[in-house]
Amino acid sequence: MSILEVRGLKKIYKTRLGGAEVEALRNVSFTVEAGDYLAIMGESGSGKTTLLNILAALDRPTAGTVLLDGQDFSALEESTVARFRRDNLGFVFQDFNLLDTFTIEDNIYLPLVLSDTNYVLMQERLQPLARRLGIEELLRKYPYEVSGGQKQRAAVARALITEPKLLLADEPTGALDSRASDELLRIFKEVNRSGQTVLMVTHSARAASTASRVLFIRDGEVFHQLYRGEDSDERFYGRISDTLTALHKGGEGA
Amino acid sequence: MKGGFYSRLALDGIRRNSQLYLPYLMTCALMAAVYYILHFLSHDPAVLAMRGGSSLSFTLMLGRFVIVIFSLLFLFYTHSFLIRRRKKEFGLYNVLGMDKRNIARILLRETLWSYGISMTAGLLAGVALSKLAQLFLLRLTHGDIDYRFRIDFRYVGSTLLYFGVIFGLILLNTLRQIRFSNPIELMGSESSGEQPPKVRWLPGALGAVLLALAYYLAVSIQQPLEALLWFFAAVNMVIVATYLLFIAGSVALCRILQRNKRFYYRARNYVSVSSMSFRMKRNGAGLASICILLTMVLVMISSSACLYFGKDQALQSRYPRDICVQATVYGYGPENERLCAELEALCSEETGNMPKRDTLRIYDEYCIVGLLKDKRVEMSIDSTTNQAFIDYSDVVTLHLVSLEDYNAMGGERLELGEHEVLLGCCGSDALPGVGESFGVGDREFSVQRRIDGQVEDFDRCAYNSVCTTVVLVLKEREELAKELSRYKDYNGDDMLYLNWLYQFDTDADSERVEETVRTTAIRLQRYLKEQGRDFQSYCDSANAQRADFFGTFGGLFFIGILLSVVFLLACVLMIYYKQLSEGYEDRGRFAIMRKLGMTGENIRESINAQMLLVFMLPVVFAVLHLGFAFPMVEKVLMLFGVANTRLFLITNIIGVGTVLLFYTLVYRITGNAYYRIVTAGSEENG
Repeated sequence: MSILEVRGLKKIYKTRLGGAEVEALRNVSFTVEAGDYLAIMGESGSGKTTLLNILAALDRPTAGTVLLDGQDFSALEESTVARFRRDNLGFVFQDFNLLDTFTIEDNIYLPLVLSDTNYVLMQERLQPLARRLGIEELLRKYPYEVSGGQKQRAAVARALITEPKLLLADEPTGALDSRASDELLRIFKEVNRSGQTVLMVTHSARAASTASRVLFIRDGEVFHQLYRGEDSDERFYGRISDTLTALHKGGEGA
Repeated sequence: MKGGFYSRLALDGIRRNSQLYLPYLMTCALMAAVYYILHFLSHDPAVLAMRGGSSLSFTLMLGRFVIVIFSLLFLFYTHSFLIRRRKKEFGLYNVLGMDKRNIARILLRETLWSYGISMTAGLLAGVALSKLAQLFLLRLTHGDIDYRFRIDFRYVGSTLLYFGVIFGLILLNTLRQIRFSNPIELMGSESSGEQPPKVRWLPGALGAVLLALAYYLAVSIQQPLEALLWFFAAVNMVIVATYLLFIAGSVALCRILQRNKRFYYRARNYVSVSSMSFRMKRNGAGLASICILLTMVLVMISSSACLYFGKDQALQSRYPRDICVQATVYGYGPENERLCAELEALCSEETGNMPKRDTLRIYDEYCIVGLLKDKRVEMSIDSTTNQAFIDYSDVVTLHLVSLEDYNAMGGERLELGEHEVLLGCCGSDALPGVGESFGVGDREFSVQRRIDGQVEDFDRCAYNSVCTTVVLVLKEREELAKELSRYKDYNGDDMLYLNWLYQFDTDADSERVEETVRTTAIRLQRYLKEQGRDFQSYCDSANAQRADFFGTFGGLFFIGILLSVVFLLACVLMIYYKQLSEGYEDRGRFAIMRKLGMTGENIRESINAQMLLVFMLPVVFAVLHLGFAFPMVEKVLMLFGVANTRLFLITNIIGVGTVLLFYTLVYRITGNAYYRIVTAGSEENG
């Protein structure tokens, strides 16, 4: 059963002084099955950030629908959207977006606190999660006291603590060094293996090679799609690189 | 690069940051206007021409002195807010290739522009309002209204000069800051990594203890003079306690709240409490300053208003009749009786041709100061001289009134037996009741009746005198006085003295009253001198004193209002800048929370909770301070001759009401500004 269904998505931005229109998304359709691990790749300006914003219900499409678990959330009210986002989606951002006034623990609790969850329940959920992500020692610390990789793991914990239907990650390795990146990608893979549906936007082929499927976006359209099949990470990485090269050449040709 | 270019950059900087600059310029203008007005009025011929004009002028000068100090501190403080916001811009200029010298030039232009703008506005307002202020002051003090309009360029010059110095100092300080920082620091100075606040339990607890102590002091003091002595100690304690509580206590409180998981992990408390502890770390001192300023405003306005509106009572207490004659002669002698009779003859002769109303009072009383111990007044040398070691609550002034005079004044025909007395007391509850015995020196009396209500008839200032007043009415007054005349003070002078009073109301015109008062006073002096006795005497008309009272209390009220306005506006500005700078800091935080599923409603709620706390904390504490200061200030006011609890309560309530009204208004305005800033960031993301 597909957990996310994107159909004929279109987004047009108007420049501020009227007149010129920019078409960020032309016609994007795809589905994500439960337990899938999807990576979306594209260059800067390809429209992938716009797509992610629409998927995160932070932006509305000009045309087309997004169904999460069969529900169209582009039709929801602002306040309901916020709740919907909180209950169904988990976010990991490039720049972590941890609040500096909270300890790591309190940062992780944030989405649950916003939906007024009982404190005992919050604690029960945090314990196994913190162990899995290896951040048990850090819970009492403040974001400024821990490394980038640790911050991102805390952010993953914050995304997962609501037990979301879909984990959305926006360039999660963008601000990390290669070791921290590898560690984070291992975690993503593991999280996915335990049944979590993951959608990751990235322009790193290494990050994409951990996914089970890769979508390539160019000029606001789905340009190509790769399935991992039985490939190892390395082999899949090769295929992704080849596709990117082709994409790049095609871009020049166009 | 040409000068015009810097000027353009500077003006552009002011315009683009008008949200920050405008209030700053307005404050500068206001300070300049107030400075000019005070300087102008303190040398205004119409003010100086008034009776008591020179003391009024002195009061105005003191007010100007306060403004001088305050504007220096306050403009420095507000400017630091401005520059913190603008450092990033200077960093950018620096990166783009301007050196520090270029930036200094921009800053110089900026200073010149803001000086020019604020001084023009301030002096225009000052000159325009100086007339209004003068009329208001003359009205308050009942001076002669003068309708001419004057501009005094000497004071325009002094205002320009003084504020020129302030602006110069601020510029130098800014240049110093820019000079010792590099572009990266400049660009990042707004978001330099912040550590979580440390809880300092000890200072927090110390603050609480100090405050409790100061409050206890304020409510437990009974004697007016003691209140005056301890007032400044209590004020200082409260100031220190407020700073400690706001800086350390508030963080400790937040930590306690955070430990209460059930409370803390709720959507509406979560963000507020955690950012509150950070906020208090940064702003505790600022909020404490606001609180103290507000307290000052409240105390100042309510007490000066009370003095002003209670001035008639103060006048009455000192001058119970239109014309009061009093002669004081030290020691006891057989000729005292003859003296009194001759004094009376003298006064009747002098004032004989004046129309008198039926309120003439002539009486005499022997007075002596003693120490009250166990329902007994003991005369000792210490009670008059060794003042550093005595407890003022034990000191009493004994007024001995003959039964004859008492009956004559009250129109009564009371009889007293041997050793029986009527006892009236004001200021102490340690005196014997009816039927109990009361000792004076070696003598014992039994109290036949208490006449506390009539004490004021004998000593109108009884309730505001430094020590307890005891009135003793008895038959054998002369014997007692004779006996008490043996007590001498350190210098060997008599402790006992005789007050002879002659008081009446008259309908004569003021010229005649003045004339009579003058001639009577001279004759009185001459007569007493001839008698060769150690004496004091005065003859005064209440009317003549009224002008002095109006001048003094009206001037105080005027200064009270003016300074209150300045301080209040200062508070407003501090809050405004606080909200703005915090708005910029919180923007990023709220943007993140929005991404994580915080609704607009959540944000608004959380903002409201925080703002309410930040806003209400100083004002709640200020009102609390005021409440505890009430009994103490009331006693200090008694020393000025105004003892009117009801009036003081009313001026307090009106003061608090006005401040609250004003405060709520500002809350609305700055709240909106803050909300706009905070949500602007997240909507861009949305």
